[in-house]
This record gives sequence, structure tokens and C-alpha cells, in this order.
Amino acid sequence: MANLAAALARRGRAVLAIDVDLEGANLHTCLGVPSPRASLADFVAHREEDLAKLVVDTPLRNLRLIAATQGHLGAAQPSHFRRERLLQAVHRFPADFVLLDLGAGTHPAVVDYFLAADEGLVVLSPEPTSVENAYSFLRAAFYRRMREVLESRPVRRLIAQAMDQRNERGIRTPLDLLREIQSLNPAEGARFVAALQQFRPRLVVNEVRTSEDIKLGFAVRSVCKKYFGIDAEYLGYVNHDEAARRSMLARRPLVDSHPASDAAVYLARIAAKLADPRRASMQSEWRESGA
Amino acid sequence: MKPLGEQNHYELLEVSCEADPGEIERAYRMAQAAYASDSLATYSVFGEEDAISLRERIELAYEVLSDPERRRAYDGSLAGEPLPPASAGSAFELERERPARNEPKPLAPLALAAFDDLEAEAGSSGYDGARLRRARMRRGLELEQIAQVTKINPTYLRFLEEERFDDLPAAVYVRGFVGAYARCCGLDLSAVVPSYMERFETGRIARKRSRQGQPV
Repeated sequence: MANLAAALARRGRAVLAIDVDLEGANLHTCLGVPSPRASLADFVAHREEDLAKLVVDTPLRNLRLIAATQGHLGAAQPSHFRRERLLQAVHRFPADFVLLDLGAGTHPAVVDYFLAADEGLVVLSPEPTSVENAYSFLRAAFYRRMREVLESRPVRRLIAQAMDQRNERGIRTPLDLLREIQSLNPAEGARFVAALQQFRPRLVVNEVRTSEDIKLGFAVRSVCKKYFGIDAEYLGYVNHDEAARRSMLARRPLVDSHPASDAAVYLARIAAKLADPRRASMQSEWRESGA
Repeated sequence: MKPLGEQNHYELLEVSCEADPGEIERAYRMAQAAYASDSLATYSVFGEEDAISLRERIELAYEVLSDPERRRAYDGSLAGEPLPPASAGSAFELERERPARNEPKPLAPLALAAFDDLEAEAGSSGYDGARLRRARMRRGLELEQIAQVTKINPTYLRFLEEERFDDLPAAVYVRGFVGAYARCCGLDLSAVVPSYMERFETGRIARKRSRQGQPV
């Protein structure tokens, strides 16, 4: 995430990176900013209403940061209302790109940020645990979007049954569920199909070591299509690179400290895709799957 | 959008109904890998029963679509049904620009030149070892596969990528290695060989001088 933000900034775009992972704030360290005083925690705790006052500079040109340091240990996640306020403020923020660094897991807050983004990125590595986490996240996002859109009580009951993995109606895939919804309530079915078409996760495969690993992105995309009925986009991959560890220890983004390394080249390629003016979006978002 | 059980052969392979034989071949290989019994991408989503039936249906879809006669008959049987629009595109549409010229057949089908070569756009015309490796990985090739086709010792191929110039044989051999490697990856030889050989020569001279204690 730090690297993608840095790669976009290196392309001369004004970038704001926001660490919304209040339970595991570390974006500031990846960007080489020593524990900032102002942080998103001030917004969450109502100490500061103006987001612009929480922004700090980073050592990189065009790249600014809202960190998540100094959080309150007890109430880490902001309330639903607070999240709405945050997202409204983010949309108004004067920057070419606003990147949100989401925490791992399927907390409703994390899923809501993801669904609110113009581009939601899911990062996975070629390991069983990471792939499983990515699917749990997509499933959570899928059902949350579904519940946002669908209102009728019988349909919601049906969804609740389907979400229980041992359901007795034999609903195996979200597409089976869609079929059931359509027969129960065609109007809701149509609404759901429309919502699905707007749900387009972007996949990035990290820690690639072999060409088999690269194919994982295509396979996951195919599963998204066949299982969820959603069109995921395979945005790119980043290879495993020892330089990444060295740059982490140096607390600098890899694309800045080792711009010629393999991983930095791949990252720059993903940034170029996101920055392509043909992509009409203004905002992009990131989810770290797994560790 | 149809439940899996109702998807037709084209939808199963994620190709448009106008896909040419090459696209169908590539799509089939990709689906085969994605739904293989040990596939990382599918084991946690599909139960064993579903996975087996999916594999069988993918095989059947390929058998039908790769046989021109059976495909025609099948297309006829679909006639009443709306086919996936051509614009929906093949799942592998990004790969189309890959230069097919000179690519040895056994390695080509799974080509994964899926991501546009932005390095070329960025104006970096030279090829170094790292760029060769990236080109190879984009095409989904392992060093061993290149070694099989080119009959070059995989260790030398690795040295090419790692730019261990001192461990490589004389320039005339290296030139041959780079050419064979580039051809295997479907790269433009006239762009790759001269720029790589220039790095090779200057790298060697520099190293020789520094060994002899001369200023570089």
C-alpha cells in the first residue's frame, strides 16, 4: 500500500494516503514518518472535525499522509456514523488519489471502506491461508453489498440462511442464491444483479516467485466469475523481492529506495494502470489480505 | 449471469462465442490449471464433488469447441439462446498483443503476457537480465522449459538473468544464448541481443580492469 501510494506520487500525482487500520497502524513507518502527533484517532474521538488538519507531509514529494497512530485502545473502530463522515470528507479532499490502507479481516468497518471505494484492491499471496482470507473477505463484501441493496424481509431471511454455510436449502454458491431470490421476488433480483455489476474487486498477487504464482490471479478471477458471478479485475502482480525487506528495515517505500528492483517495477506498472486517464476513477483503496 | 449448472461451453471456458481456436486452447489450459485438484484458487471454494463435475464439464466444453464440426453443431443447438456478447471479451484479452512470431509451439499455449509491456512505453529500450526475467515470467515460462527448447544449460540461462557475466562463456556463445532465450519468450531479437551484449561487454571489461587494479 505504501509503495503503491509512493509509485503514484512518483508519477507526479497528488496523493493522500490514509491509514484507517486503527488497530494495526503502521503506514507512517512504511512511509518514513516518525509517529505523527495528529492522527485519524483525533477524528474518530471527535477531537478534530477537519480532516485537513490531520494531514502530515512525508519525505516523498506529492505524497501526504493521515496516520492512525495514538489511537484509543478501547474503541478502535469508528462508529458507522463517523465512518460516513470520514468518507464524505475523503471525497471532498483535494488530491488526485486518496488511498485507504485497510486492516485485515472482515470487520464491517473494513468492508464498508472497501465497498465505498471507486477501486477496491484485494492483495493476496500464493499461499493457502492468504487465498482463503481473500475469499472470506470477498464473501463478506458480497453479502454486505447484498444486504444494503435488498429490503424485503423474506429475501433477507433467505440471505441469512445462505450465509450459514450448512444451509439446508442446498444453496451452494451466491449465484444459486440469486436464482432463489429471483423466484421469490423478481424486483429484488433485478436490483441485486445491478448491484453486482458494480462490484468489481481488483486483484493483486503479491510475493510471486514462479510463473505458477502469476496464474493464481487468473484462477481467482475465474472463481469470482463462476462462484460469485462478479467480474474481478486482475490488476497485476508483484514478485517476491529481498529488496522489499531491506527497504522495510530502512523505513522507506521500495519504489523510492530501490526503484530499479523487480518488485518496484511491477508496482510502478500497477500504479500506471491506476493512473491511466482512461480509468475514470478518482479514488482507490487497498486491502491487505492476510498479514 | 447464470448459475454454474446452466452455463454453456463458452461461458464455462470464459470465452466469447467468436473465440478462435487459439483463444479456446489458451482458455482451456487456464481453466484446467485453475480447477485442477491441487489448485490453490479453488479448493476452499468448491467442494470435491463440485470440483470434479466442473473439471468434467471443462473437458467436455473443450472437446466440443476444439472440434470445428462439433462446435458448429453445438452453436446450432444454442441458436435460441442469447450468446455471451463478443464485447464481453475473452478472459484473456490482455494477452492478445503478445508477439507470436518465432515462439516455439510447446511453450506458447499458456503464454501469460497478460500485462501490457509498460516498460516499452516508458521508453526503456535496453534489455538487462532483470528485464529478461520479467519477460519470461510474464509468459509463464520456467527456466527449465526454456532450457528444454533451447538445449542450453539452465544454469547459464540463470546467469544471463543474474548478469553473472564472469561465469558465462565467451561472448560468441552468450550472443547465441541471449538470442535463443529472447526467441523463446517471443521478444524482438533485434532489440534484445545488441542491448544485452553491450551490457555484457562493458560489464566484463569493467570487471577485468578492476581486477587488474586499473581505474575503471
